[in-house]
Amino acid sequence: MIPKNIEKQLNILDYALSSLWRRRLKSLSVLLVFAAVIFLLASFQMVTQALTAKAKQLLVHTPEITLQQMSAGRQEAIALTYSHQLAEIFGIRKVVPRIWGYYFDEVRLANYTIIGMDLSEIPGNALLDTTLLSGTMPEKAEQGKVVVGQSITKSLELGGRLTFSLFRPDLSLKSFEISGEFAPDTDILSHDLIVMNLADARDLFSIPTGLATDLCVYVTNPQEIETIAKKISAALPGVRVLTRPQIQKTYQVVFGWRSGFGSICLLAALAAFAILAWDKASGLSPEEKREIAILKVLGWETGDILAVRFWESVSVSGLACLVGITAAYIHVVYFAASLFRPVLMGWSVLRPELQLLPRLAAGDILLILAFTVIPYLAATVIPAWRNATVPADAALGG
Amino acid sequence: MVTIQPFSIPDELAGYLYVTFFLANIPLGGILARIFFLVPKKTMGTLVMIECRELSKSYLIEKKSVFAVNNINLSINKGEFVVILGHSGSGKTTLLSLIGGLTSPDRGQVLVAGEENWQLSDNALSTMRNSRIGFIFQFASLIPTLTVMENILLPLTFSRNPAGSREMARDILSEVGLADRENAFPSQLSGGQQRRVAIARSFINRPDIILADEPTGDLDEETERDILELFRQYNANGTTFVVVTHNSNLAATQKNARVFSMRQGVLSAHTI
Repeated sequence: MIPKNIEKQLNILDYALSSLWRRRLKSLSVLLVFAAVIFLLASFQMVTQALTAKAKQLLVHTPEITLQQMSAGRQEAIALTYSHQLAEIFGIRKVVPRIWGYYFDEVRLANYTIIGMDLSEIPGNALLDTTLLSGTMPEKAEQGKVVVGQSITKSLELGGRLTFSLFRPDLSLKSFEISGEFAPDTDILSHDLIVMNLADARDLFSIPTGLATDLCVYVTNPQEIETIAKKISAALPGVRVLTRPQIQKTYQVVFGWRSGFGSICLLAALAAFAILAWDKASGLSPEEKREIAILKVLGWETGDILAVRFWESVSVSGLACLVGITAAYIHVVYFAASLFRPVLMGWSVLRPELQLLPRLAAGDILLILAFTVIPYLAATVIPAWRNATVPADAALGG
Repeated sequence: MVTIQPFSIPDELAGYLYVTFFLANIPLGGILARIFFLVPKKTMGTLVMIECRELSKSYLIEKKSVFAVNNINLSINKGEFVVILGHSGSGKTTLLSLIGGLTSPDRGQVLVAGEENWQLSDNALSTMRNSRIGFIFQFASLIPTLTVMENILLPLTFSRNPAGSREMARDILSEVGLADRENAFPSQLSGGQQRRVAIARSFINRPDIILADEPTGDLDEETERDILELFRQYNANGTTFVVVTHNSNLAATQKNARVFSMRQGVLSAHTI
């Protein structure tokens, strides 16, 4: 035997669902608009979280400290002789010169990121070394060997070939052979990346011996990064010192800014929806007011009438949430968040083909509920409550 | 030949009970009645089904307070058929709303089955309306998106026997001549048919009291006769009726109807 209270709620739920069905056109239109808003919000949240998490995961491989020479507020090549001064600072494990630059392919109108580094010098060989799809990283002695990102082979239209050439500044050609390819799950960082050894990069960009674009500093104890960075700043006043946490923070800020920008647009849409919902719900139609009055006259308690409204709203908003979040998941996983890619991933010519794993924590779901379901519930139940507490004869016009 | 009426009682006993119940409705008298006449508390006050005591209700019209109901004292016994005649704006509908607990009085009391309406909580008042009162409004008060059957079953939404409720609703629909329209929507019915659905709905929870506001307003002569016959049958079975109307012939169709006139919120015994 079902307890009386539960049986009553089931009856009310039954009435609420049939009431929604009776007004199916109106209910469906509210449901669709509501689901669309939740879809946008959830998609945005999922893709932001996924990108941030992915970037964070990959940035683990960045050097603990990066040094760049500054002159008149702009970056220029840094002398390798600084290594001697750095060697005197306690706690530095290794200093590795790096050439990091951009190559503009005028034929294909694409920018490639070039990293030239003797990877064997890096303690633990930590430059994305665990994330190669095939091949190996170029060794110091292997001239002309490169590892490329997924988009590079497509952009260079190599087909099955493993060799290609790039122009030096004097327009002479330098040949390369692909010795490996980065895994797709590093695409966010590696999609336009060509990694080669230091000598090849110096040759490609015609950077004189004894110079690099930056120096990568590896420390013995990662807890000491900030302290060592301060010591370096003191020892080398004209050098910009970037720590790994700072770089991670910068990426987060970039994604945060972009997601914030998108969120503001979405919140505007949400506000419009809330106003629409409030307008629709608070201005109960004469028929709805009359229905409430009739129910009161027939002996329905105020609580029963509110429960009907509550179940109606919960059904609509719950279904809208389910539809919206499911659609957002499909959008992010199967369509690679195509609606938000330009906003969240930049406007690079070579677009990374990311496989994003959507992340939606309980907190995010609560946030979505707080911004959608709760205002909708309030916008529908409060007017019904106001109406249900006035004497029934007023609503009946008696 | 002597005809014995069901529930008939000797005149002496009737007088005794009258005094008892009269006393039972006065607070101190009630206690005395319980002590001296050994009347169980449960049965006390059931004879008087509706009682209005110095009942007043006014509305502000153009910043002037106008009495819709002015100091009305009225006692209606169980099973009585009361007709209140009056023109539009005389306060008849307001009096029904006060009796039904749909609106609160400015002054005075309304007791239904011994319980004062506005001493009850909102929920208790709703329960009282649901279990004791059937309303028939001046305008057919049906929910347009519900079918005839669904409208009739509304008061029984929380019934524990939905299947039985449906059967009962079909019986009542037959009684009001709409057996074949249970799946129709109000918009598919004439004004008179809608009125009959509202009447059927008022009977569905077998109420003690029917409060009817111009119940025959939209009905043709034949249907009016049928409905008034139905009222007579329910009344004969003990249902108390309070009917407000401007149709002075209505009272003549009912057995032993008590008739009142209402003018500018004041109730008086009707004289032909």
